[in-house]
Amino acid sequence: MNKKAGEKKAKSPAKELSKELTAAYLEDARTAHEHGKYVAYTTAVSPVELFVAHDIIPIYPENHAVGCLTKRLGTQLSMAMEKKGYTSHLCAYARCDLGYRITGESPTGGIPDPDFLLACNAQCFTLTKWFEVLSRSYKVPLFVFDTPQFISDPGARKEIIQYCINQLKELVAALEDLTGKKYDYDRLAEVIAYSRDACLLYRKFLDMAAYKPSPISIFDALIHMAIIVYLRGTPQAVHYYQTLVDEIQEKADKGIGVVEDERFRLYWENLPVWFKFKDHFNLLKSYGANILTSLYVHDFAHEFDTSKDPLETLAENYLSAFSNVTMLERADMALDLFQRYDMNGSIMFVNRSCKAVSFAVYTLKDILTEKTGHPALIFESDMGDPRFYSETQIRTRIEAFLETLQRREAEAA
Amino acid sequence: MDSANDPYGRLADVQKTKRIIGSTLADVPEELIHAAGLHPFLILGTNEPIRHSAALLPDNSCSLARSNLELVVGYQGAFFDGFVLSQVCDTTQHLCDIWKRKFPDHYFENFLAPRQVARPSARAWYAQECRRLRSELGNYTGHEITDEDLWASFRLYNENRSLLRQLYDIKREAPALMTNREFFDLVKATFFMDKEEHNRLLKEVVDWADQDKHRFTGQDGFFKVIMAGIVVEPPTIYDMIDEVKGTIVGDNLCTASRYIYHDVEVGSDPAEALADRHLRKPNFTPINSDVERVYADLLELYREGEAEAIFYCHIKYCESQDYDLPDIKVKMREEGISFLELETEYQTTHLSQMKTRIQAFCESVMGKGAA
Repeated sequence: MNKKAGEKKAKSPAKELSKELTAAYLEDARTAHEHGKYVAYTTAVSPVELFVAHDIIPIYPENHAVGCLTKRLGTQLSMAMEKKGYTSHLCAYARCDLGYRITGESPTGGIPDPDFLLACNAQCFTLTKWFEVLSRSYKVPLFVFDTPQFISDPGARKEIIQYCINQLKELVAALEDLTGKKYDYDRLAEVIAYSRDACLLYRKFLDMAAYKPSPISIFDALIHMAIIVYLRGTPQAVHYYQTLVDEIQEKADKGIGVVEDERFRLYWENLPVWFKFKDHFNLLKSYGANILTSLYVHDFAHEFDTSKDPLETLAENYLSAFSNVTMLERADMALDLFQRYDMNGSIMFVNRSCKAVSFAVYTLKDILTEKTGHPALIFESDMGDPRFYSETQIRTRIEAFLETLQRREAEAA
Repeated sequence: MDSANDPYGRLADVQKTKRIIGSTLADVPEELIHAAGLHPFLILGTNEPIRHSAALLPDNSCSLARSNLELVVGYQGAFFDGFVLSQVCDTTQHLCDIWKRKFPDHYFENFLAPRQVARPSARAWYAQECRRLRSELGNYTGHEITDEDLWASFRLYNENRSLLRQLYDIKREAPALMTNREFFDLVKATFFMDKEEHNRLLKEVVDWADQDKHRFTGQDGFFKVIMAGIVVEPPTIYDMIDEVKGTIVGDNLCTASRYIYHDVEVGSDPAEALADRHLRKPNFTPINSDVERVYADLLELYREGEAEAIFYCHIKYCESQDYDLPDIKVKMREEGISFLELETEYQTTHLSQMKTRIQAFCESVMGKGAA
């Protein structure tokens, strides 16, 4: 597992493919207008299949923001935005994006301007407000796909789904207005079938965390999540996840784990601290700990039912985002992962950037520790802005937590 | 006035005869709760110290959310028999779950109002949520809510809104007749008091004001202000505006115009009638319609009211307002409108600082204010 001196790390076919697909996707987006296509900004959790089927290229300002944050541009871009009167309390993605609009700074050469905006609030309400700012700035229409909390009452759920189907019909009409083209529902069914297949393969990849040792960590999941976000609904995404699954399956069959002598299998709550990715992985690895998964990465493992009306299965899937169900259901989702991946602890991040995911964390911690009997660590910081990351304090807390796990392990032995 | 500032003791008698259902901002159709024979009570936080909610919510949650949770967990939980909580943003959505877990033995409903009002689906959905709430309240009380019950509640609420609008009109006409604080306390009392009693008292006040207004119609020394935001807390802010002789002639507050403007039309389908009223309300920052409305509505209020300034109450950490404000400020600057942002928090202790800001703004920008 460990590299020997002078030994070159084998290239990952999936990672190479990811680079190719990403470059081609960005090129398509940048030249969209030359080919008579439109560019629409949308949110990661949104029925993007409706765009793909109508030859509209979806762009995700969140993904672009992640690129900026991992390159540690978070503070610089945020400060540019703060000078315009915005506060540093806002979502780091939004701060990054609005800062990029002012400075043009981007590690990837930027993203094209939008012709249309779609905000789905299943993920969060913040995106609606952020896209309102963009809509005023670019003078382009904003469509809010409003997804009420998917409360557990079956009767209420039925009505919520109907409300969302009605809105998707309104969205289709808005897209027809934008392009002047009649919507093709057969094409939509085909696109949803690609999404279904890609999502199933993506889920299979995530579920490989159940192997002992796990051939993946959450950091792999976060890297390989990108394609399911921006290329779902395409045959390229299906091919990509098949390649990835084959690659990881081979590792699993050979018993290769990402952490040598894996001792602690952990759950992560929330989005990652994007600029501390590698540091966190290495710190945990030195204790034999691996973070296997989070609900965040599972959010894109949709289960489209192609036997249903296309709009119905879209509505059901996007309503069921972990950030849009009740806290008890969210806890059940996490408990299911605990059981399936046999995890023995949690690191729970209260992300000041993301109220939608963070508000429930304190209560969620109580539920998870009570139901699993495994300890959990809570720490507060920001996913993208190092000004709000207290290096020594957080490192000490993570180390203390890992030492607790070691003590528990020794006691159990 | 006592009811506005300390409603809990004042409602002891009501509590003996009716179950009290707390709701949160914004847009819960109280008429449904009233028609079910229950007492609706709008929860508007506490200025008492935060002891419990700090452990349940991150420290960058808006102070209204923190304060509301503190009120029920730390101080007045026993006062309520149940809750109908509205979800309008990320904070309120997740607050509902935390709240529900803290009160497992109380009646509890979410009210999922649409967060868009631009398209026909919003009307249908609001009406559907009203039907669901009506049914759930009926299950809770064990009595079906009839259409007649609803019409009676609609009439009572319409009368209340009409009286408050009349009083607001008189206040505009005769600014020296009553202070901002007195008027907005009267509005606030309606969130807590028995509606029949509030209407009875309001009628007396409106009659008195109508008779006496001619003695106070002089506008000299007053300047007209538009009050924007969600809530004005602490209410001392009204006193500060009174001190500089600002008279509020229009607002888009949830605790004023959004509550008192537009009636429910009696006679058609009750749920649809409630939906129609909902769609006519003034702009509310978390609800998307036309993205320009965040300032277009303010400009309209300003021009209609022939105002001289806009005061904007910004609840610290209210994400929705955080996103709106920079564009609003730019627009106001372009239009040459005097605009004062007042960042507020429940439990705020910096009132003298705010007073100085209001005074300085009025003196330097308006060339007005108390001598």
